Amino acid sequence: MLDIVQDVSLKVKYQEALVIKGASGSGKTTLLGLMAGLDQISSGDIELLGNDLGDKNEEQRSAIRSGKVGFVFQSFQLVQGATALQNVMLPLELKGEPDAYDRAHQSLQQVGLEPKKNILIDHLSGGEQQRVSIARGFAVQPKILFADEPTGNLDAKTGRQIADLMFRLRDQSGTTLVLVTHETDLAERGDRQILIDAGRLIDSEQGQTIDSGPKRVSC
Amino acid sequence: MLKIKSSGIQSYWLMLVATVITVSIVTSSQLLTQRISLLLDRQASELLAADLVVVSGEPISPEYQQEAEKFGLNVSNIVSFRTAIFIDDNPQLVAIKAVDSAYPLRGHLEIAKDTVGDKLKVDHGPKAGEIWVDPKLSQLIPSPVTLGSAQFKSDWILTFEPDRGGGSVFNLSPRILMNIDDLASTGLIIPGSRATYRLLFAGQPEKINQFVEWLKPNLKAAEKLQDLENARPEMRQALDRTRQFFALSIVLTLVIAMVAIAITARHTANQEAPKVAMLRAFGISQARLMRFYAEQLGRVWIIATLLGIAIGWFSQYPLQWLLDGWFGKELPVIATVMPYINAAIVGFISLVGFSLPFLFNATATPPMQVFRPSQTNQSIRRNLIIAASAIFSVFLVLIVLVQSSKLAIVTLAMILGVALILPAIFYLMINALLFTSRRQFWLRQYLLSRLKTKTRGALAVMSGFSLALLSILLIGVVKDEVLNSWETQLPDEIPNYFLINLRTDEVPAIQKFLKGKEIASSDSYPLVRARLTHINEVSAQDIEFINPHGSHLIKRTFNVSYADKLPDENEVISGQWMEADSDTPEWSIESGLANSLGLKLGDILAFDVAGEVVEAPITSIRTVLWENFKPNFYLMSNRRLLENQPQTWLLGALITNDKKGELKQLIQNFPSVTLLDITELISRIRGIVNRATSALEFFFLFAMASAFIVLMAAIQTGRREREQESSLLRALSANIGQLYTVHVFEFTLMGVLIGFFAALFASIAGWVISVQFFEIEYHFSSSIWLYGILSATLVLTTVGTLVSRKVYHVSPMKMLRS
Repeated sequence: MLDIVQDVSLKVKYQEALVIKGASGSGKTTLLGLMAGLDQISSGDIELLGNDLGDKNEEQRSAIRSGKVGFVFQSFQLVQGATALQNVMLPLELKGEPDAYDRAHQSLQQVGLEPKKNILIDHLSGGEQQRVSIARGFAVQPKILFADEPTGNLDAKTGRQIADLMFRLRDQSGTTLVLVTHETDLAERGDRQILIDAGRLIDSEQGQTIDSGPKRVSC
Repeated sequence: MLKIKSSGIQSYWLMLVATVITVSIVTSSQLLTQRISLLLDRQASELLAADLVVVSGEPISPEYQQEAEKFGLNVSNIVSFRTAIFIDDNPQLVAIKAVDSAYPLRGHLEIAKDTVGDKLKVDHGPKAGEIWVDPKLSQLIPSPVTLGSAQFKSDWILTFEPDRGGGSVFNLSPRILMNIDDLASTGLIIPGSRATYRLLFAGQPEKINQFVEWLKPNLKAAEKLQDLENARPEMRQALDRTRQFFALSIVLTLVIAMVAIAITARHTANQEAPKVAMLRAFGISQARLMRFYAEQLGRVWIIATLLGIAIGWFSQYPLQWLLDGWFGKELPVIATVMPYINAAIVGFISLVGFSLPFLFNATATPPMQVFRPSQTNQSIRRNLIIAASAIFSVFLVLIVLVQSSKLAIVTLAMILGVALILPAIFYLMINALLFTSRRQFWLRQYLLSRLKTKTRGALAVMSGFSLALLSILLIGVVKDEVLNSWETQLPDEIPNYFLINLRTDEVPAIQKFLKGKEIASSDSYPLVRARLTHINEVSAQDIEFINPHGSHLIKRTFNVSYADKLPDENEVISGQWMEADSDTPEWSIESGLANSLGLKLGDILAFDVAGEVVEAPITSIRTVLWENFKPNFYLMSNRRLLENQPQTWLLGALITNDKKGELKQLIQNFPSVTLLDITELISRIRGIVNRATSALEFFFLFAMASAFIVLMAAIQTGRREREQESSLLRALSANIGQLYTVHVFEFTLMGVLIGFFAALFASIAGWVISVQFFEIEYHFSSSIWLYGILSATLVLTTVGTLVSRKVYHVSPMKMLRS
């Protein structure tokens, strides 16, 4: 078995914007997935919103995430063939929210896409699709939002706009943000940056491996 | 130099399996249909006692026999004539048939010691010095029997002769069968005697055909050829239906196999697209990639041909084991390699025609797909090429396999039409369903969006699966309709005896006798023997008929009848049936005869009836269901025209085994009556259709195997997308129940739509085929809808859910990795 992330001890604070930086293949996306409960750790402890994920199966982890965790993906991951509005409604309806339509509407207004709410995703530009993705991420009013390279598939200008939007919404909602990126400009907008290299955390300011103590990740 | 490495045959395994099935279907169907056809023809030949007969009023040239023997054919000579024998000083007209030792060439004779005793099957006629007589005569004539100037021993009753009737079952006198070597000693046949000479031939079909080619130009005016096609109308109809049903079922089974190849090829091409994009980005030319895929297809074809031929060949054995029981005898062996060659050709055409365009399409994948995987290379032009190639391949296959079968071509045209419009129908249907309630996305709108997104995937797969199901339903529905119509026409109460040669004054007494013995009988009909002399006042001898059958027909003596009401299962298609009390003479003619003689309403027909000219116009043209074994007539008139002409009567009776003992008394009470047992004829014709359709049920296995491949391809095609979607839903916190729900509903929705349209088009096609080709009444049944929708839904949902079960456990991390 290959250890992709090892000897990591990390705590994400309430309403903090934590940026995980690292080169390609460094393990940053794996770390994000583990923190978000998308994958299971092979050893150690991991806690999400006060819930220990270490011994939970996918079904239990999904229940923990439900309505409390939002995601923004590099390649948007929207439902093709559905409209912008329907995409935002999806997590709300999966959670069983009765006012999914109105809340999705509101969320799209916040990202400035209300006029295009009934346009099929396939007909929106990359920047617009990422806005829909952000609207979907924030629509469930998550306590924590995980964003994996949110500007990675966009040009520099659109990337900046998306970053502005995401941080604005995070400021408005007070949502904790965990963001993975390799872009310095975006990383600098976080409250705290950590660097990961070959699956180990490096203190980004001092350039040394953090003496992590007990292996525990909590957010 | 960069070398393209094959990813192995496993990339093409579904396509390979589909092609193996195609080749197996062709091998198996060709071998079996040829063998069954040969057997059916032989069984049918038994009704002629031969494969081919030359009939003449004069002795037939020995040259025919010599020539036939050169072709390796078996030959038999028959002379038949009528003469009177004296029973208790009363003359009795008998039909004598003198046969040689080779008779019958096909079928068998049946003899018994007495009228109710056990019957014995024999394959030769009486020995010299011996005669076999009709059951009726056996009660009356003494032994030895005097025929002309010779005496014969008469120990056996002739209960069955395969070729009795030879064109009309009603035209019979009591039979005496004798050996042809004794004929001269009787002195009954002298130059100028009125006799019918028959030369019977039997052999391999191709030899018969070659001989017919030689014979036709040599035939004299008085000689006519009789084969299965013109021997018995009821047999011809049965054989035609059977052959058409064979052709139809095989074409439909092949359609499913071809759909399987197309869908699996599409799946393979989609899988290859990313590899192609990468190779093209590295500078590999499209031509080189095309060559590479052509080589891959070549490998698939060679493996599929070898496996398919082997499976097709082996499949004969279980099938033969099944069929031997049904047919009661072994299937004849065919020594020809054509089935294998045809199978290899059809496999090649199907594989190339259906898969090459998809793979060549894949070679045009833009290198940009390396960066933008969503960029597709679909275009209307490419889709048209794919469609054109498929259509062309299908017609090539038809040329190889069914050649002139109009039914198969029309069916295929219908299916192609459906194939073209189905994706559009599904697209419109999904859009129409999407239009409603936009306030709620999960679950219905989500499902429909997914189906619509994968427009070219889901819709093509749904269309393919619909076509496969349509074909299966169509085989089933047409088979049921053909069999049902056959069974309906032949209820258990069908008369199994004809009582003929009844005198007019005897009819009420005979009917009373039958009623008293609780024997069911049909309506009675008069028979008047008539010879056509003039059509519209022109001598029939001087008329040149366009249809060669017409010139034969005018030489025959017709048994015409009259009736007040239209007989059962006759239908007037032109003109009007005669008024019962009409004083104006009128004819009603059977449509087939009208066509052969080129007759129409208003034409005036003159007949010679016992030396008197009987003339009337045609006022109606009828269709006649010859297969129903009820008294049927080519020509009928109103009562006024024939009532006073010399006539005998006939009626049908159902004489069950427990009533057979009454026959003796019937014959004693009414000595002029001739009994004609048609049980054997009915059961043989019924058996031919039943066995042939049962045999075809075997092809259902191939049809189901192909449909299963289509199903697997359908499920495999959307698998990658399903994994991606499940991963996304998981990341968005969907629970496993919601994942199951979405997949079960997707397969259920697809199943319902597929089943509905398959049933709809199968009903329409079934109606067209039944009415247009089988000429049977079509009953729209609810079972086709039930089977169609239920089977599609259950199979798709069950197999789809089971095969896709891994999808439910896909990690949401896939979202981050993709």
